[in-house]
Amino acid sequence: MPINYKTGIINEHKNVRNHSGIFDVSHMGQILIENNESYLHKLEKYIPLQLKKLIKNRSHYSFLLNKDGGVIDDLIISNIDIKDKSYLYIVYNASRKKEDEEIFISCAPNAEKIYNKNCLFAIQGPDSINVLKNIIDIPNNMNFFDILISKYNNNEIIVSRSGYTGEDGFELSIPNESAENFITNLLKNENTMLCGLGSRDSLRLEAGLSLYGHELNEKITPIEAGLSWALDKERLEDENLNGNKVLRDQLKNKLSNKKIGLISTSKSMLRDGMTLFDNNNNQIGKITSGCFSPNLNKSIAIGYIISEFDTDNPIFCEIRKKLELVKINNLPFVKKNYKKNGSVYE
Amino acid sequence: MSKKKYTKDHEWVSIENEIATIGISNHAQESLGDIVFIELPSVGKSVKAKDEICVVESVKAASDIYAPIDGEIIEVNNNLENDAAIINQDAENEGWIFKMKISDSNQYSELMSEDEYKQFLEQ
Repeated sequence: MPINYKTGIINEHKNVRNHSGIFDVSHMGQILIENNESYLHKLEKYIPLQLKKLIKNRSHYSFLLNKDGGVIDDLIISNIDIKDKSYLYIVYNASRKKEDEEIFISCAPNAEKIYNKNCLFAIQGPDSINVLKNIIDIPNNMNFFDILISKYNNNEIIVSRSGYTGEDGFELSIPNESAENFITNLLKNENTMLCGLGSRDSLRLEAGLSLYGHELNEKITPIEAGLSWALDKERLEDENLNGNKVLRDQLKNKLSNKKIGLISTSKSMLRDGMTLFDNNNNQIGKITSGCFSPNLNKSIAIGYIISEFDTDNPIFCEIRKKLELVKINNLPFVKKNYKKNGSVYE
Repeated sequence: MSKKKYTKDHEWVSIENEIATIGISNHAQESLGDIVFIELPSVGKSVKAKDEICVVESVKAASDIYAPIDGEIIEVNNNLENDAAIINQDAENEGWIFKMKISDSNQYSELMSEDEYKQFLEQ
């Protein structure tokens, strides 16, 4: 996947917000794990969800947790039937394949990695439903985070209504032999285009979504990352779950750091790794992701600051050895545009 | 105006009456991608070749612009203040960044010709 295609990051970004865009995310991990009680029990040591109760044809945002409650990876986990057999279908970060697969295989030795035989595409943006409907059947009542098996060229494909841009959209796992033909057909629509990693990053940042290696890592828990909504509160009481005590304590007590959104007040760009200061020149935090926001026409960023900092006070960012005033902005920067959500469990 | 010359840092320079006009090459603009901001240099500043003069920010990265030769900054392209994307549209004409009064024209002759720069890019 390139950083961008011919027309550039900003144009790709705007096309997704206004029409639709296609991302080839085949580099990501995809694995099928048999829906078997002993496998699920072992996986529940790492995944803070009640895996046995997952509703069929629904997806969930979750994590693999280490012993301290830190995030080994963030992932999307779904319960689907393929050829009459029930599976957990998990999509995970390319950069974490090694760590994740070690866990998956230790819990379920016959887990089947499918990313070598299936491409993964995302089509994102308000028009994606119309572009996709020309090619495959999509039921009208499909909601965000619903997932189903459909057919293309007589091959079974996995279709989920999800994505990483804050827009409505779909992710499609398609056997390699049909992949090129599928994309060629989608691109017959003149208002869609291929999009690269650059716009993927600026779109997810505007939507306030976390990126592994930036907002998330093994030293940050989902609670510190502002993602406690994705934790199953019952599972936090379960001694079998990695980091359960740490996470319970964090929910009760004050955290040492908090995640914030920032907007530049000048034309300078906020970037990953820049340091944040209060007006007495004390270091109060760091930026973990920054980019130019085409929707706001300013640079935006996500970062962590110490919890005791009162956000009514000014914050400065060190940009090329100069301190520049930045403004706190609630996340997301751009309103999410998902098709309505359903419940998590049966 | 004299023939355009290029630096290894992907800047172009052209000279007329001992005044050099400087910008970034079309190749540099392509690799930077969408340019969103430029911090222009201060007029009146004396600089030496290889000094960091100003910064171009694209959606991908911040990139320093160096003085190609010794001299004094005498003018900057203020149009870029409001619309840095002019550099993407026309890097080697309308997208010029600053002008210098140069002190040593020998330094200019040592820069690469257009053909030499093309060869340099292929290496």
